[in-house]
Amino acid sequence: MHEISSQPALPVDFGIVKCIEGYERIKAEYPAYLTDESKISSLPFDYLFFPKNEAELAVVIREMSRRKVRITVAGARTGLVGGCVPQEGALVSLEYLDKVEAVHYDPFAGEWRVRAQSNVSLKTLDGMLKFKQFPMLEQSEKPDVRDEVQRFKEEPDAYFYPPDPTEMSASLGGSVVTNASGARTYRYGPTRAWVRGIRVFLADGEYMDIPRGKYFASPAGWFVLYNSKGEARSFQIPDYSIPKTKSTTGIFTAPQMDLVDLFIGSEGIFGIVTRVDVALLKREDKLSIIQFLDSDKRAIQLTGALRSDQRLQLDFLEFYSKNALDLLRERQKAEPSTVGMPSIPAEAKSALFFELSFNPRDESLDYHALEETVTGCGASLKNSWVGYESRELERFKIFRHLLPETINGILAERKKSSPGLHKLGTDLAVPDEYLLEMWNLYHDLCEASRLEWVAFGHIGNNHIHVNILPRDMDDLHKALDIYEKFAQRAVELGGAVSAEHGIGRIKGKFLKLMYNPDQVMQMKKIKETLDPLGLLNPGVIFPS
Amino acid sequence: MKIVVCIKQVPEVTNVQVNPETGTLVREGVQSILNPFCEYTLDHAVRIAREDGNTEITAITMGPSQAKDALLRSLELGADQGILVTDRKFAGADTWATALTLATAIRHAVPDYDLILVGKQAIDGDTAQVGPELAEILGLPQVTYGVEVSLSSSRRHVHVRREIEHGYEVIEAALPALVTVSKGEVVRRAPSFQDLMLSRRKTIRILSAKELNIPEEETGLKGSFTQVVKVFPPQNRKRCHMIQGADAENAALEILAFLKERRFLP
Repeated sequence: MHEISSQPALPVDFGIVKCIEGYERIKAEYPAYLTDESKISSLPFDYLFFPKNEAELAVVIREMSRRKVRITVAGARTGLVGGCVPQEGALVSLEYLDKVEAVHYDPFAGEWRVRAQSNVSLKTLDGMLKFKQFPMLEQSEKPDVRDEVQRFKEEPDAYFYPPDPTEMSASLGGSVVTNASGARTYRYGPTRAWVRGIRVFLADGEYMDIPRGKYFASPAGWFVLYNSKGEARSFQIPDYSIPKTKSTTGIFTAPQMDLVDLFIGSEGIFGIVTRVDVALLKREDKLSIIQFLDSDKRAIQLTGALRSDQRLQLDFLEFYSKNALDLLRERQKAEPSTVGMPSIPAEAKSALFFELSFNPRDESLDYHALEETVTGCGASLKNSWVGYESRELERFKIFRHLLPETINGILAERKKSSPGLHKLGTDLAVPDEYLLEMWNLYHDLCEASRLEWVAFGHIGNNHIHVNILPRDMDDLHKALDIYEKFAQRAVELGGAVSAEHGIGRIKGKFLKLMYNPDQVMQMKKIKETLDPLGLLNPGVIFPS
Repeated sequence: MKIVVCIKQVPEVTNVQVNPETGTLVREGVQSILNPFCEYTLDHAVRIAREDGNTEITAITMGPSQAKDALLRSLELGADQGILVTDRKFAGADTWATALTLATAIRHAVPDYDLILVGKQAIDGDTAQVGPELAEILGLPQVTYGVEVSLSSSRRHVHVRREIEHGYEVIEAALPALVTVSKGEVVRRAPSFQDLMLSRRKTIRILSAKELNIPEEETGLKGSFTQVVKVFPPQNRKRCHMIQGADAENAALEILAFLKERRFLP
């Protein structure tokens, strides 16, 4: 079915919605809403809304539409490309839409699912699932909701929501509209793979419930939307192909695609997602391993070997370059207790960090395959760290986050004397076969430019974050120059210019590296159909 | 040199939630782990073993069969062998009955020990009693709250840097001795994958009440002088007095008067 109808929300009075009016007041009393994790600054805007429910959201959209005021939508404001940073009009914070609505078993799919409002944080959801504690649902007035929670609690297995986009304070809805990924995308895919349905409010204030598997584009690629008055709008999905790598560059498309996939990763330009249904997976005991190696090239060699060994199923595969380890060593010397890990071995010149299933009670551990693969790449299992208790897994995870945190600290210090400075982090992914070529390009250009740089991240998906730490504005200009060269080459190799951060308000020019003007126009036509006034998230994906 | 490290399996209390209605612990999703102070203890034992060469480390615990997991972790962290003292008769033991059972097991399995290392306390009960009681039962000199542990050059004494209220003191004790260990500057070790694999080849010996030949009335609940009657969160005793409606100067004067009255200021 390629036709779908929207419906109006319950009518409420616009006057009841909490609203802060005037930029000066917003700036003085609500400064946190002027930026997000991208740290770009807002331009003056007039309203800051806090709708308490969907009906209030709907009336805000209708009223802003009537006044022709554009809306930027904010979830947890953890995005890295300025998607939540208004440049005009109104900012609508969804922070009050923070209820988990149901835990339910889908007998057809054979999976447990959670239905939650969009601003439930990933951390909250993870805690609820881990401890099987859903206080609101357990006291729900609806018997079927209470019964399902009880069934879930009685399940012998524990469950989790697989997407893990590093920043666990991110909101569920935010992670859906950005198709968030992260380390575990290596095994479980991005957020898209776990979304089973959404509720989305369109620019006219009406909403659609879109379960996965019900609405598909027609064979010619069309969708038709009817509003509650029976008026029809239709649009055609883009006909370009998207990279086979991780990608959050532009609008997703696929032959006869599911309508839900149009909204996932669309960065909120087509509608405002207020509710999501996501699938859960059985939690397994895991073993985290940091394997030290004698060079970055060895790490790339071992990456290939681990990926191709069918006997090994890793949850993620992450990388620390030699210069990343050096930076961590310096931090360890200065603040051993904040690092919380033993000294990085002196002989370590690179490392891979990965995780696999593990039963600590298994007395006859058979890790022959891993041993063979690691030693086959000239490394030794003696030079590794392992952990499996949950606090150990957490300790390893903190160690992983320590690197970007350290980089941000260094840059914050440098900004004091040179305020225009900022770090430059790549977000490029390439197909498997070009990992080494891309690494050589990163290494050679950074070294030739005499830049200070480190590399880390999702090497399993050929998605290494090269972070350049400019010491002065001259360095920054050099870095911007080579960044474009990296992006250009990634596109030539069939990769993505934005593998996980999205385009937002700061990477618009990179969209044009990947898509030609006709393809960008195909994306814009959908936007014009669904949001003719350009009301939602202006400047996102398509620069104003 | 034979070192015995007494260890305990505990719930990972950083993750424990309390049901606000019943006041009981929420057990779902809570892992059992090796008590962190026992990890620091093992760290000292391994360091001594590395320096001393010919040293054998035995990790010992009293607990149910699943406490074997904590022994496995101890073996990964450097213990050479493990001993699980387990029996239904040991259930409900307080610190005294636990110390008595452990003392009996140590005498039985490692009679020629030189040094016993114990974490200063377990993070679930926080009593810090088992170590000192064990030393009393075995008639050993004991040093508590150790943060650095080393052997004298003659290997007849242990030197312990211990925490005291406003600093540290260094104490020497003749071996055999018992030391309880605080966190100090130790950063917890991370075993290698090889350590993990080798640990599965080490032995864990199981000892029951019968093998230890302990009179039933001295073990478990029967042998305990104390019993846990109720577990409840302590009442918050902090009181906060908010100064309302005063301007800054008057508020400061009020705070000054308060501090003088309580003799925090002359």
